[in-house]
Parts: sequence; structure tokens; C-alpha cells
Amino acid sequence: MKRTMTLNLSDAEMSVLETMCEEKGLSKTALVRQALRLYKSVDDRLARGEKVFVESADKSEKVELMVL
Amino acid sequence: MKELIDRVFLLNRATGRFEDADLYHGLDSTNLAHIEGRWRPLFELRRREAKASLQTLAEVNAEDAHWEWGKKALVALDDPFLFDFFVLECGGSTQAIMMTRKGGQDCFSRHPEHQRVPLIYVEFLATAPWNRPKLVAEPIYKGAGRVLVGTAVSLSLEEEFGGRIGLHSLPGAEVFYRDAIGMTDLGADSEGVHKGLRYFELSSRDAATFLSVQH
Repeated sequence: MKRTMTLNLSDAEMSVLETMCEEKGLSKTALVRQALRLYKSVDDRLARGEKVFVESADKSEKVELMVL
Repeated sequence: MKELIDRVFLLNRATGRFEDADLYHGLDSTNLAHIEGRWRPLFELRRREAKASLQTLAEVNAEDAHWEWGKKALVALDDPFLFDFFVLECGGSTQAIMMTRKGGQDCFSRHPEHQRVPLIYVEFLATAPWNRPKLVAEPIYKGAGRVLVGTAVSLSLEEEFGGRIGLHSLPGAEVFYRDAIGMTDLGADSEGVHKGLRYFELSSRDAATFLSVQH
């Protein structure tokens, strides 16, 4: 069963959402779903005590990803 | 615990007739009882026969005989956010079962036509042992595996993933995914939990072709 919600976003937030939807070829619903899954998968790893790193393309820099 | 989502048809090879089959989202204890009480004894019998005749489990298409669907169901029930289960029932038995993942690792395309876009990953898919041509002399239902692959494609469309699906195949099932389904063989993983298994993907274009063919 699917449930409906109203999401209040600022102009800037809506603009980012719409741009990403266009780039990814997804509807707003699909993009938010994907974002939520990504957030949860990262959050689950952090909750297990793991760390998530982001590495630069040339591998010269590696920083730990911090999330809420 | 499970919800009927479609009614499809399976060809009974013995009678030559199509029979109604019920496709469910989710599973219940009846399905697990079928697997433990009906699938497992046949798998075990064939496993012993294969060992006695020096055949590999791949040769008799029974490499998944050890899969513990009860444990997999618990994982999926614990995280419905990421996992879905589907079962196909016909003739009073569970004919096929599948567990899919719709987010996180493995859910990004490796296909050269659309790398890194999201897809549905088929974690596990199995048909009843009595439907497998290499496992029994006279297999019963034809098309159960294909129905579940189609179900994964439908889920991918519903999630706006363009019908894309990916999976790692056991050696004995590679021919099915490559030749019968038309998935692209992207080679064996050299590391990670699927090390040594070949990765197959159905691209958006191939998914459209798959759905357009009358099965």
C-alpha cells in the first residue's frame, strides 16, 4: 500500500530536486525514494560503527562522510 | 503476509495444458513449509545421486539446494524498505520464489549503455526442483523462472528504473539468464561477496524486448 504526503520545500530545494529529476530521468517521488534508501543504507552502516569515505578522482584525498 | 498481485499461466509439460498460477508479493509459512517439506527432500535425493555418479551440483542444476529461505525471509521481513519477496503458486505447491533488493549496494547498473543508474537487484531466485530439466527426468511446469524474472522487471518499471535488473548467477543457471532471458553477461566478479560468480544485467532496452515477446 502506498501513502501520500505533502512536502514543503524552499525554491532552492525545489530547484535542486527538479534539476536532479531531469538529470536522472526520475519523477520526484522516485528520486525521494532513492535518496531515502541511500540515506538509510549509509545510516545503517554508521550505526554499526562502520565509516563511509569519499575519495577524490585522483585518489589523493579521502574524507570521511558525515551525516546527520 | 502475502498479497495476490497477478494470475498467470504455466505450461504443464505432462498434460500439455496451461494452468492458472497465482503470483504473490510476500510469502507465508505455507510457502516455507513447501520448500522444507517438498523441495528439500528432492534436492537431497538428487544431491546424493549426483555425488554417487560423480556429477557436480551445477550439472544437475541443484547448486542452490542449501539455500535457507526461512532465514532469507526473516532478513526481508526485517527490512521491507529494501527487500521484496515474490512467490508463484500452481497446482497446490510453491513453484518458484524470489527475493529482490531495491536500494543500496548492487542496485546500480554496470551495463555500458547506462552505467551507475539504479536497478532492481535479484538477490535470490529459485524454481521448484521438479520443474528443472537437468534435475528431474520429467519436469512438470515450464516458465516459472521466467515469470519471476518478469516480475522483477515489472518492479523495476514501478520504481522508475526502466525495467533494469541485475543478478549474480550460479554457474548452472548462466545459460538460462544469458540465452533464455537475454541478459548481458558482464563477467565474473573478482572480489567481494559474489567473487567468482558471473554478473548478468538486463538493460532498459533489453527489458523492453523481453516484455514485448510473447511468452
